[in-house]
Amino acid sequence: MTKNRFTVALAGNANVGKSVIFNQLTGLHQHIGNWPGKTVEKAEGTLHFEDYSIDIVDLPGIYSLTTFSLEELISREYIAVERPDLVINIVDASLLERNMFFTLQLLELETPMILALNQIDMAKKKGIRIDHEKLERLLGIPVIPTVAVSGSGIYELLSKAVEVIEKKVEIEPLKAKYGKEIEERIERISSLLEKIQFKYPARWAAIKLLEGDDEVKKEIARINPDIVSAAEKLEKEIEEIHEHSCSTVIASERYEVAGRIAQEVREITPPIRPSTAERIHTLTTHKIYGYPVMVFSVLSIFYLIFTFGDYTSGLLGDSLFGLKPIFEGIFGTGVVGKLFWGGVMEGIIGGATVALPYILPFYFILYFLEDSGYLSRIAFLMDNFMHKIGLHGKAFIPIMLGFGCNVPGCLGCRIMETTRERLLAAFVVTLIPCAATTVIILGLVGAFVGIQWALALYMVDLLIIFFLGRLAFKALPGEPTALIMEMSDYRVPHLKTVLQQTWFKLIEFITMAFPLIIVGSLVIKIVEILNLLEPIANFFSPVTVAWLGLPAITGITLIFGVLRKELTLIMLATLFGTTNFAQVMTPVQMIVFTLVAMLYIPCIATIAVLVKEFGWKKTYFITVFEILLALLLGGVAFRLLSL
Amino acid sequence: MELRLSDLRDGETGVVISIGISRGRGRGAAGRAGRGWGFRKRLEDMGLTPGTRVTVVRSAPLNGPVEVHVRDSRLAIGRGMAERILVEVKR
Repeated sequence: MTKNRFTVALAGNANVGKSVIFNQLTGLHQHIGNWPGKTVEKAEGTLHFEDYSIDIVDLPGIYSLTTFSLEELISREYIAVERPDLVINIVDASLLERNMFFTLQLLELETPMILALNQIDMAKKKGIRIDHEKLERLLGIPVIPTVAVSGSGIYELLSKAVEVIEKKVEIEPLKAKYGKEIEERIERISSLLEKIQFKYPARWAAIKLLEGDDEVKKEIARINPDIVSAAEKLEKEIEEIHEHSCSTVIASERYEVAGRIAQEVREITPPIRPSTAERIHTLTTHKIYGYPVMVFSVLSIFYLIFTFGDYTSGLLGDSLFGLKPIFEGIFGTGVVGKLFWGGVMEGIIGGATVALPYILPFYFILYFLEDSGYLSRIAFLMDNFMHKIGLHGKAFIPIMLGFGCNVPGCLGCRIMETTRERLLAAFVVTLIPCAATTVIILGLVGAFVGIQWALALYMVDLLIIFFLGRLAFKALPGEPTALIMEMSDYRVPHLKTVLQQTWFKLIEFITMAFPLIIVGSLVIKIVEILNLLEPIANFFSPVTVAWLGLPAITGITLIFGVLRKELTLIMLATLFGTTNFAQVMTPVQMIVFTLVAMLYIPCIATIAVLVKEFGWKKTYFITVFEILLALLLGGVAFRLLSL
Repeated sequence: MELRLSDLRDGETGVVISIGISRGRGRGAAGRAGRGWGFRKRLEDMGLTPGTRVTVVRSAPLNGPVEVHVRDSRLAIGRGMAERILVEVKR
């Protein structure tokens, strides 16, 4: 029997349990990539159900189908152009009104659709009961109650999906009606649109034209600019009738329909006592107590990760280096052996001792906190502070991650809404002293100059971030930033989903960073074999010796530091032949060296991420800028401290 | 009386009148209607349309964002944005 292949897209608001449903459906048969040419994550997976093979595409969590964000644009284009066989709209049962607002827009895209009424257990706890059969009648599409975390309703959801695709059940989706004066005008525009070839349904495009949607306007203007100008005239007329912008009027009326539906199908009996989730929310957003709770949580997370990372990293490093004799047995100790071990293998070991002990737990905790809802509370508390560097509260999350490792930090910038904010946040992240930089600060300055100097270096770094953040904020064009964020109810994270997300992120990191790390370490090994390290150190001596006042040898260590920042310290020990740095460097030299190492370049893994997220040009600019900045500040510090 | 959302006391409820954005086309990205167009749209999409009841739950200290309840959902809105939302309040 031949298998039938279908494509099903999951769509819905953020925090409705969409990723849990996706994971329940696809398990480990998934592939996380990017939407072509965009820095928006695309999760796809395949599942086999009865005689069907179903490709599932998880669309980003969004609230509307406008052009406000890339995610919304991608979602609507996917539904209209790629035409999945079915859209499953996932809806949070306790937030029916707002979710219906999005459902109505999906229906306007005139795509075959069913609805998963998710988290009915949580709704029940809040005293909300929904008559899903009535909802089904009102919307004209199948509605299946689900509890994604326990898997309940998932089977029914799939069977219904197949029934609808195979057209065993007829669906007659609701067409939301707007006010008479708007309907008339939608009618007039869609009759014009029906005469041209356009990828979106005429009625949908007509509504979007009235809402002043830039993207739709642009695309229709290319086909027939008269339609756009006609629509603009009608848009003005509505504005005059209502004294609000046309997009506001349409949104209001759509919400009115959504509200009516919600009212008709639900019954609310509010619980008497505030729930535990509610009480945790009050504590974690409290004016005074919220901050100590946050500081305590963040510090304990870091403490945990570093303790775990330090231990496993050592263990892993030792066992991997134990392979050296075996490799030397196979490839010899000649040039080939050296290249293979010192280049390729040490690169892999270097990558592995970062990825597994540090990045893995980092992602795990990140997704755990995100799923629980705590990250949005941190963003709430830090919003005011982040505005001082031109970003809003959400940017605190990637920056916080950056203190552990810049790589997840830069990837975490995806939570920002616009490309501009993403770039700005990523730039700030690359300046954050990561765990490896902390090793240098504490291991060199902290141990041999004094802990107060180590702290001073931290403060200097934060000041630099503060000033540069402000500067970049002023220099980059675009809209000002503002925090508009949902704080969904606290919930117990779904462990399986969290583990899967962590796993796929780790794979992403490995495929992204390892090639560059291996190539980088191979290049350095070749330079070493050709005995070019000395000449290079001498070549850089005008900078390192004359300008920064450092020993010439540091030129070499700084090159190694590009691979992994802590290598600057390890190589320093190797080349000097001692770990008692006080014998070979003056305190001023140590401070200057650390300052430079801290700022001079994002490490190669971070560069790999930047390239992937923002392209070569911006990465190149950030890298060169940071090298120059580090040299400038290093030179100035050398002169000031030598006074 | 007419107040900015940011001026509401904790626990107070108002009805959205309008969301102000600077007038005039141009300036904004890709000829959008003024700066802040996208943010007004986002707020409306999240339920803050004219005529909607909105309750301020609490404000973060030092001019931080405000937490509001709107259409059963809980939103955090940056101070700058909350200042642009006009609401009708009974005091």
